[in-house]
Amino acid sequence: MISNYLLLIILFAPFLGATVLFFIPNTQKDVVRSITVFFSGVSLLASLFLFYSFDISQGGYQFISRTVWSETLGISFYLGVDGIGAPMVLASALLMFCGVFVSWDVKDRLKEFYINLLILGSATMGVYMSLDLFFLFFFYELSVIPMYLFLIMWGRHTKGYKDMKGHIDMSGEEKRNSVAFFLNFNKNSKEYAAMKLTLYLSLGAVVALLGILYIYVQSGLNTFDLIAIAEKGNLSLEVKEIAFILIFIGFAPIAAIFPFHSWSPVGYAAAPPAASMMHAGVLKKLGHFTIIRICFYLFPEATTKWMPLIAILCVINIVYGGLVAFLQKDTKFVIGYSSVGHMGYIFLGLASLNTIGLTGAVFFLYADAMAMGLLFALAGFIYYQTNTLDIPSLGGLVHKMPFVTLCFVVGGAASFGLPGGMNFVGEVMVFMGAWEVYPIQTIIAALAVVITWAYYFRMTRTMFFGKLNPALPDIRDARTWYERLPLVLLVFFTLFFGIFPGRFISVIEKGVTPILARFDRSAENSAAQKTALTVKTGDETSK
Amino acid sequence: MTPEIMSFSDLNLKLIAPELWMTLLACVVLMMDVFCPKLSKPKLAYFSAAGMGLITLLIISYGIDGVGGTSFSGMFVLDPLAIFFKVFILLSTILMILASIDAMEKIPYFRGEYYFLLLFSALGMMFMVSANDFLSLFITLEFSTFGFYILVAYLRDNLKSNEAAIKFFILGALSAALIAYGISLVYGEAGTLLFDKIAANPPTSSIGLTIGLLFIFIGIGYKLGAVPFHVWVPDVYQGAPTTVTAYLSVVPKAATFAIFLRVVFGTFLELKTDWQWMIVSIAVLSMTYGNITAIAQKNMKRLLAYSGISHIGTLLIGMAAGTAMGVESILFYILTYLFANIGAFVVVIIFQNLTDKDEIEDFTGLNRRSPLMAFAMLIFLLSLAGVPPLAGFIGKVYVLAAAMHQGLIFIVVVALINMVISFYYYLIIVKKIYSVEPKEYTPIHISTPLKVALYISIAGVILLGIWPNPFIEASVTATSVFTNLMPK
Repeated sequence: MISNYLLLIILFAPFLGATVLFFIPNTQKDVVRSITVFFSGVSLLASLFLFYSFDISQGGYQFISRTVWSETLGISFYLGVDGIGAPMVLASALLMFCGVFVSWDVKDRLKEFYINLLILGSATMGVYMSLDLFFLFFFYELSVIPMYLFLIMWGRHTKGYKDMKGHIDMSGEEKRNSVAFFLNFNKNSKEYAAMKLTLYLSLGAVVALLGILYIYVQSGLNTFDLIAIAEKGNLSLEVKEIAFILIFIGFAPIAAIFPFHSWSPVGYAAAPPAASMMHAGVLKKLGHFTIIRICFYLFPEATTKWMPLIAILCVINIVYGGLVAFLQKDTKFVIGYSSVGHMGYIFLGLASLNTIGLTGAVFFLYADAMAMGLLFALAGFIYYQTNTLDIPSLGGLVHKMPFVTLCFVVGGAASFGLPGGMNFVGEVMVFMGAWEVYPIQTIIAALAVVITWAYYFRMTRTMFFGKLNPALPDIRDARTWYERLPLVLLVFFTLFFGIFPGRFISVIEKGVTPILARFDRSAENSAAQKTALTVKTGDETSK
Repeated sequence: MTPEIMSFSDLNLKLIAPELWMTLLACVVLMMDVFCPKLSKPKLAYFSAAGMGLITLLIISYGIDGVGGTSFSGMFVLDPLAIFFKVFILLSTILMILASIDAMEKIPYFRGEYYFLLLFSALGMMFMVSANDFLSLFITLEFSTFGFYILVAYLRDNLKSNEAAIKFFILGALSAALIAYGISLVYGEAGTLLFDKIAANPPTSSIGLTIGLLFIFIGIGYKLGAVPFHVWVPDVYQGAPTTVTAYLSVVPKAATFAIFLRVVFGTFLELKTDWQWMIVSIAVLSMTYGNITAIAQKNMKRLLAYSGISHIGTLLIGMAAGTAMGVESILFYILTYLFANIGAFVVVIIFQNLTDKDEIEDFTGLNRRSPLMAFAMLIFLLSLAGVPPLAGFIGKVYVLAAAMHQGLIFIVVVALINMVISFYYYLIIVKKIYSVEPKEYTPIHISTPLKVALYISIAGVILLGIWPNPFIEASVTATSVFTNLMPK
């Protein structure tokens, strides 16, 4: 049966492609490109098939494949997707495929670029389909390093780097290499961005690793199998609480929740377009996904306890991210901070802990992946043409690039939640879910949508309309097929699922329902314990 | 007590046949060098490597057949643990011989003796991992170090090499004295030197025994280069020929760990409360000091020396756990460390053969000059840092899981923080290699034996990362010699 191997095909096609690329000389660019397109295309087709053959009537984990990896350590290579994983696998494959075309014209070390992209993509998909805590972490950590290489090798220095060069030391090298580099404020080199992103995420990852090892040891089952731990693991409430905090602090940084968000706009601004697309689109969502997968699934009691705090943090995310985005002058920084803001909506949906809110949040995960992918791809193209992303120095681009402008307007509109785009559906569902539990936060969040509108309108107006800046170099529209294909694909998937969200929502609901059922069960259990306790004490007092 | 009289037939020569063959091989190599002056030195190297390959096969066949037992009145033991380490020593020596050929061709003198000394040190360490009492421990420890004293001073016109040798020698002698004194104290309390007998009648905890153990630990700490006994490590690593440094950074450490394991788990397991605090504090100090100091290094060999110190600290975590899982994790971690560290040094060796430079600054833009070397260095550094899907990651998770099982949360947290610190300095090198443009673009040519060594190391690092199960099972088998250990 193909369904037994489907996940393996999706996961290993890019890995295989990366391995093949190793043996192709860098000079044969067309061979390199076609190999990459082939293997990422296989992955995309297989994940489309996965999404459409996901059995809605059945639900649960599907397409399971399991191989024992180490008996001694209790690790098995255990893959399977539920209604939450399947759409995200599709999103990752789609963004990886689009990223290949977006970086078609990379001049320097194209082969290495594609190897990195393929590894990044399959590592991301690996997290979305792992049912074994060890491999979940394995793929998660694997996704961190390609991003570092992307940034240092193909990144760009962001705003103001030149000033720093002139004043501090001629090459800027010494300053950037100093031990205390993350304490100084010269945040504009790509190396700074790369190191900041990697260290933030690694610091998060080791906390998460501590949490995973803690669960592994405390469950006493000598297994990393998520489902076995959920079913048979006898974790006490205290253990669940500690593990929840460790896992949440470990994985929340990659989701850019408020105090841990500062790596993300800097990183996205410095990264090459394909890497920004992947990272803002799907890697960032690993944070939410792992929190649902591990925290919600294993520790419903602790989750219920801590979610009010998350609901407050996410409002800070929304308002703060929006306001900072409003102040930015660099296109990629605006998009980066808007992404920080959007993460807040998703967390609000998570915090609501009811079917509609959670479904909306997961829907938003996918929607934001499409919108971010589209916007970063366009920003990359504009940078490629104009060599700047400074909003005030752009202007009137519509005269030279109408197609790009159209796509950008669609992407921006989808991103701030215009009906027809996917974000609208997600936002509305999140608000409906959150309204029942956190009315104040919901009102603030809903009002904050206006901020999003404001900065997108302003950015679009300044960049694309008005007079063309005469200082800009000779620019052209996206006119070759490989420039247009990723944009068309992303616009299509944004609008298609925005207008027909039906199947999407029912797939997600199938993933969300069993998780919420665990909350009900835990609530019943604690209620039953409480009654048992009162009965007991009642007995004692009566005696 | 009547003294036991030993007859020749009790010796059970089959057990020490690999060592005997190794002695023969070393002597033949030396004689060939003397009597056939026209024989080219690379041929001598290939001959030694081939001979060692055959001996490795012999030992592996022992492992499969389950040959084992003691000899020399119990002073020598052949068990799965010894077999594990012997294979380890032989394979890494072969790897190092391949990696040394080019570097040795550049030295004008004593080129043949180099291989003899390497073989002889390997022989010493093969005896060392079979040591089963304190006397043979002491003798074999000195035996193996003896070759290194000469090897470190091999560049006799180089001031740094001479300085390194003197430092190495003086501190080596000091640690030997400490171990000898510690052994005498332990003998005073236990009444015997044989590990088996001490384990059978464990002496009660007393001041004399604790101090004796402390002295032995300090001596072993010097050999391992753990903080605070590490001061010789960076200077010796920097001064010694890089091929020797590469060897010194992995193989003697592994062999020392073998006897350390025997002393701690085979002999004094009962006194866990007496030694656990010592190991925990040494581990925490080594990891933290090694990693923080590594950040400031400008020389590649010194950086690898300090990172090596921190890896010794990580290994000691498994020891502090004091369980079978801890020992297994140590054995597995040593394997991962072997490929990654020797591999990183092989890159330095190739680079040095061409340019005679080993500052980190010199490696800038390596990717433009040799994509293979740059990629190899990336893989090795990431494995050392503990990034999946490479070997180091599995090793780290294994060690930390063993410590978690014992509830040593503090040390796990320290290790994890150190992991992030080590990310920083490894990634700085990655940045220099990949991001910065080089000063000159001349491509680097890699000769065949070095290429083979490089490919073996890369294969090892990746294989142990994606398919570690056979190696984990091998560690489990080797650990089975410590029958008194708790499983986890």
